[in-house]
Amino acid sequence: MNQNLYNFIVNEKAHRALRHDYVDNGELAADYCARGVSDADRVADRFVKMMADEVPTIFEGQQIVFMRTVKKQPKIYTDAEWEEIGRKHKLHELGFVSNLTPLYGRTIARGLEAELETANEFQKKEIAAILDLTDRYCAEAKKQGREDIVEILTKIPRKGAETLREAMQFFRILHYSLWMEGTYHNTVGRFDLMMNPYYEADIKAGRLTKESALELIEDFFLSFNIDNDLYPGVQQGDNGQSLVLGGKTVDGGDSFSDFSRLCLIASRNLKVIDPKINVRVNKDTPLEVYELCTELTEAGLGFPQYSNDDIALPALLDLGYAYEDAVNYGMAACWEFIVPGVSHDIVNLDSLNFSKVVNSAIVAKIETAKTFDELMDYVREVIRFDVNRLVEHCYSARWFVPSPMMDMLSGEIKYNNYGIHGTAIASGTDSLAAVKKYVFDDKTVTPERLLHALGTNFNDDPELLHILRVEAPKMGNDIDWVDDISADLLDTFSAAFKGRKNVYGGIFRAGTGSAMNYLWQAAETGATADGRLRGEPFGTNFSCNLFSKIKGPVSVIRSFTKQHFDKVINGGPLTLEFSSLAFRDDESKKKVAELVRYFIQRGGHQLQLNAVNLETMKDAQIHPENHGHLVVRIWGWSAYFVELERDYQNHVIARQEYDV
Amino acid sequence: MTKGVIFDIKEFSLNDGPGIRTTVFFKGCPLRCIWCHNPEGLSPKRELFITHNGCTHCGLCKQPCDHEDCRGLGRCIHICPKGLVKAVGKLYSAEELAADIKREEDLFRSTGGGVTLSGGEVMMQPDFAVELITALKPIHVLIETCGYAKQEDFIRVASLCDTVYFDVKLADREEHKKYTGVYNDLILENLEWLKKSGINFKIRTPLIPGITDTDENLAGIARIADGAPVELLPYNRMAGAKYSGVGKKFTDIIKSDVSRIKSTEGLPENFTLR
Repeated sequence: MNQNLYNFIVNEKAHRALRHDYVDNGELAADYCARGVSDADRVADRFVKMMADEVPTIFEGQQIVFMRTVKKQPKIYTDAEWEEIGRKHKLHELGFVSNLTPLYGRTIARGLEAELETANEFQKKEIAAILDLTDRYCAEAKKQGREDIVEILTKIPRKGAETLREAMQFFRILHYSLWMEGTYHNTVGRFDLMMNPYYEADIKAGRLTKESALELIEDFFLSFNIDNDLYPGVQQGDNGQSLVLGGKTVDGGDSFSDFSRLCLIASRNLKVIDPKINVRVNKDTPLEVYELCTELTEAGLGFPQYSNDDIALPALLDLGYAYEDAVNYGMAACWEFIVPGVSHDIVNLDSLNFSKVVNSAIVAKIETAKTFDELMDYVREVIRFDVNRLVEHCYSARWFVPSPMMDMLSGEIKYNNYGIHGTAIASGTDSLAAVKKYVFDDKTVTPERLLHALGTNFNDDPELLHILRVEAPKMGNDIDWVDDISADLLDTFSAAFKGRKNVYGGIFRAGTGSAMNYLWQAAETGATADGRLRGEPFGTNFSCNLFSKIKGPVSVIRSFTKQHFDKVINGGPLTLEFSSLAFRDDESKKKVAELVRYFIQRGGHQLQLNAVNLETMKDAQIHPENHGHLVVRIWGWSAYFVELERDYQNHVIARQEYDV
Repeated sequence: MTKGVIFDIKEFSLNDGPGIRTTVFFKGCPLRCIWCHNPEGLSPKRELFITHNGCTHCGLCKQPCDHEDCRGLGRCIHICPKGLVKAVGKLYSAEELAADIKREEDLFRSTGGGVTLSGGEVMMQPDFAVELITALKPIHVLIETCGYAKQEDFIRVASLCDTVYFDVKLADREEHKKYTGVYNDLILENLEWLKKSGINFKIRTPLIPGITDTDENLAGIARIADGAPVELLPYNRMAGAKYSGVGKKFTDIIKSDVSRIKSTEGLPENFTLR
């Protein structure tokens, strides 16, 4: 590892002092407005201006260059114009194109001169600005006597890359330019598939050894952390720089290679939050791969995240993706399965809150339902009703600020599907399990008593709170009839979308994720029949309730692999937190790896493990100054613990931890 | 059919034998080792356990109740909203316990793992142990034992096991009595039987600072082992963590948190350190 560069960027963050503000107080937007400049022209023009304002910056020993020196983009619309756009159109999040995987590899192979041949006027402007900044970087490199950089930047990005370093430098320039344009949550896609040919060619030609390749990858991975404090997100770290390794290839092979191994090692060595590593596996993946992945888990970054090709691929085919597209699936910012280059899916458009719909059904019907089945019928009806509401709410088109760069990096768009999360599955399931057991089967709790307790946040019925919270059966303990309820809820959820189309003719994809809704939707959900108090957070994504007493990780895995994931494949992983003691020696780590394999072989869809140390986190709340490097997983991304808001910190601390 | 008293069942226990295992903790122990880290495993009876961390002293558990299973505990175990007040020691039949464990049989098989019976002391409930092991077959069963049991009980339980982890804590008879409450005669007799039995076993010695990790004791253990494998277990500095739960105080005799033994350098070849 280039330790000096690491210290400079990660420890001291000294590079941030080299940035400056783009001087603008709304003049740019006012000028565009006055001249009636088109949307795409504004994007391209601002891009050109910002690139011109960039100061080429190269650090000692740095191999992969290009860092942002201009802090914030000036606005391209006046406030009045933006309000008008908001009135006329439905916007998604910030309004800019986001959460897509560009076809980096295609342009890296072609070169920008070749792209110019088919580029439109906006793309031409942007390409010219990129080449201009490249030339200035070249001049700076010459000044510093960095002939290696001069040689590379003289060739790429004008021409296509031929070596690994050229390919990574080219990637860096494209990735950097997308963010500069305002496009965000730019995901990486199948990185090993993209880079392995260059790596193999270099190894064959003797240009690289495994050791020098590792150092190059580390340098490249660091580049994801140079500008990430400037990227927009709910919390810092929520930036979508997710990268995929392994997985089936269109010719029936698997992309996991020596190069993939080096990527896992590089990530473990660096211990930084970006890029977020995802590994595609299947039932035949050798244990050795899981063991290597576990070495990375031990680093405590919350990745790699695993996804199961055996489940995801057929499910995506079932949703209507063509095989040659589905086989290249990657990860959106967090865990949504997305197809690079040919889809403009919006995978996180809205969310169904299972806890809320289930409990509203319980409140409405518990006194009149004669049997639990009758109650379940009503629950299904409420889910269908809520799905209807979601479909209507989400049906329409979403307007985006154009992205000439993303257009250049995309193929013909074939898919315009919308993804809908399913939040709080465990809270919904546990609520129904408790009602089934105590109200219907044992008849030890009357409907009146339950309703009163829910309405009063259990204020005057601590005994019922104890029963529902502590003694009731819980999802995560491998109890078939409980887990079957969760499968029923998810089946109903996905079936309700069947045949429904959005304005583009795209479908709706049901999922098992929560994103920030484990806090946001929880805050607006009253007391629930699982013994959860008003406002109390849900488990993250597809996981147990935070307070459930759980037998252990094996039971959790069994509980969370019984559902029919072929129907709910928008994404959303099971999360397991392990005490850092679980990684203390090779034998223990092998067992963790075997547990992951067990999850995959049982047909789980996605899994994400964390190595946590509660004491460290608690100390970091008191002495943040001592724990600047502590990284934790939040929902689909990892962040520096001390940079998180308190609610997010507390949630990580409260999650189920398996000490061993 | 015998019922067993169990104080914990731990899935995915990483330090109790090969592969992925579930460990079953039998309640009740004939020894009173001053360093014991499972104080809730000592008494053979069901008892109250209170987790004090997180307690808001709301007083709910101190109010009288009419639950059958709270009787004699002195607290109500069905009221704490945080689940901090509970009873340890659950009664199981061998069949129901084996059925619960066998859910994970496929994982045990694919990882060369199985079930570990620990405690407390397994041999305090020999009839139940025999029934449970029989019901668990063909799953790999390993027991962790202090070796203090009537020889006929020891033989009929150990004979059913695939592996025995056999504790020899102190070689000296008087020292053994002083720190564990019993003489080691019975333990050493059982060990002699075990050595001849052909059953796969290893001797384990916890490294208690100043007590078991002395040169004299380790030399004594080496003599007793007579070439049989000995695993030294590092002292767990969290050993005293659960004492307040059962209303007891942890010993203040152990002065250091860590053993002076950091490697097996200078020890006989049959010694390993975990």
